[in-house]
Amino acid sequence: MEDPSRLLIVDDNEDILSTFYEFFNSMGYEVKTAVDGFAALKLLRDKSNFFDCLITDLVMPNISGVGLISIVKKEYPHLKIIAMTGYGDQPGALASEAEADVVLFKPIDLFKIENTVAELINQAKDNKKK
Amino acid sequence: MSTPLIGVSKSILKIKELINHVANTCLNVLITGETGVGKEVVAQNLYTESARSTKNFVKINCAALPETLLESELFGYEKGAFTGAHRKRPGKFQTADKGVLFLDEIGDMPMALQSKMLHVLQSGEFSPLGSDQEFKTDVWVIAATNHNLEESIYKKTFREDLFYRLNIIKIDVPPLRERKEDIPSLLEYYYRLYKSEYPDNHGSKPDSDIVAKLCNYPWPGNVRQLQNCIKKQMILNSWAKIIEELPQEHPESVPQIETDNRMNGASRPKINEMNDDRTSIISKFVDLSTSSEKLFEDISLKKIKKLAADRVEKEVILFVLEKVGWNRSRAAKILKISYKTLLYKMNEFDISPPVK
Repeated sequence: MEDPSRLLIVDDNEDILSTFYEFFNSMGYEVKTAVDGFAALKLLRDKSNFFDCLITDLVMPNISGVGLISIVKKEYPHLKIIAMTGYGDQPGALASEAEADVVLFKPIDLFKIENTVAELINQAKDNKKK
Repeated sequence: MSTPLIGVSKSILKIKELINHVANTCLNVLITGETGVGKEVVAQNLYTESARSTKNFVKINCAALPETLLESELFGYEKGAFTGAHRKRPGKFQTADKGVLFLDEIGDMPMALQSKMLHVLQSGEFSPLGSDQEFKTDVWVIAATNHNLEESIYKKTFREDLFYRLNIIKIDVPPLRERKEDIPSLLEYYYRLYKSEYPDNHGSKPDSDIVAKLCNYPWPGNVRQLQNCIKKQMILNSWAKIIEELPQEHPESVPQIETDNRMNGASRPKINEMNDDRTSIISKFVDLSTSSEKLFEDISLKKIKKLAADRVEKEVILFVLEKVGWNRSRAAKILKISYKTLLYKMNEFDISPPVK
């Protein structure tokens, strides 16, 4: 059996966070969560190379999702990033500028996002094989 | 030398940790918090911990300058760009290149300039007034405000797109009354600092009783107000007096000194009224309880004139500010002083808007 893919999910809304956690867990992923960009960054710096994909909300206190994406792209370029936003166009545009791999607008269909995660991770694995 | 971030509270420790994690990212930072909490100290700490610390830290106060002046300060101008532009002058974006540009009171930046600002942040390019050339700039923008920018966006006085671009990293510095445990270390730090700056002053250190009293005060003017109190102590050397004179938030507990003259005066014996009136006025500016020798030494008409004028000026400024709903530019017009002078005096007298 292959190792489960590892996700880091970041959102300042704890309800969303636990929903995502339950869902991805049941789909066979190994999931860690963080309540803002700062908490996420600390997790990443502690365990770089541990995660395969980062799913992050954008508007959050301390380090915003856009900030987190910019830092991650620079320090951990292998990590795939999905940005989610519920705040209109501005943060989404900034997330694309910061080179998030995918930007999704809330409300988000969990199965759809799981598809996207799987695609991104497979892409990364294919690239590695090449 | 920059000021360290003083405090032992959870929130200050978290801010220190955050600074440590983001100082080398050069991502735009927005620092929020009430007047006097130490937003600039946070900005300086970000700068000193970053790789840019060998370059310039350039500060500009967006509230202290009229729009056109602020524009030319930020972007610079070419010779002949406007009447009086006798020679070319570099803007802050140029002097801060490779370093840090600290935009204080960003919430007071006029809308027209906000869009210019946005352009620089998006493209990293700007053009000085009167120039058709665009210049590249590599500045780390750290902005600060005591406004609630989300509210300003709603009221259409702040651009939403600029807000999101600045708000990449947000550092909120809580008011002092929400982190009372920081007060003792702040007292210690600033007492030592002022003592070393003015070794001849002999204001005593606060004892544990005084520290407890100071910890219980709500500090509407935050750390800056606390600093001013310690400075005052260096000269007055009477914590009792300083505590007595601290402005109270609740009108029912207005300090005695304000009321004794006007209200209690009527109930005093008539014969002594004149004399009483006189001593009560004088006692506001000189400590009458000391020996006459010391007293005569303390009485200096020049010093008292300044203290008296300050006191009246402060009240007049507060009176006008309250009348115009804290609109500072209107208040300056009414007072017939420049906006800059008003801000200076507000700072000197530790006047800040009521907490919302």
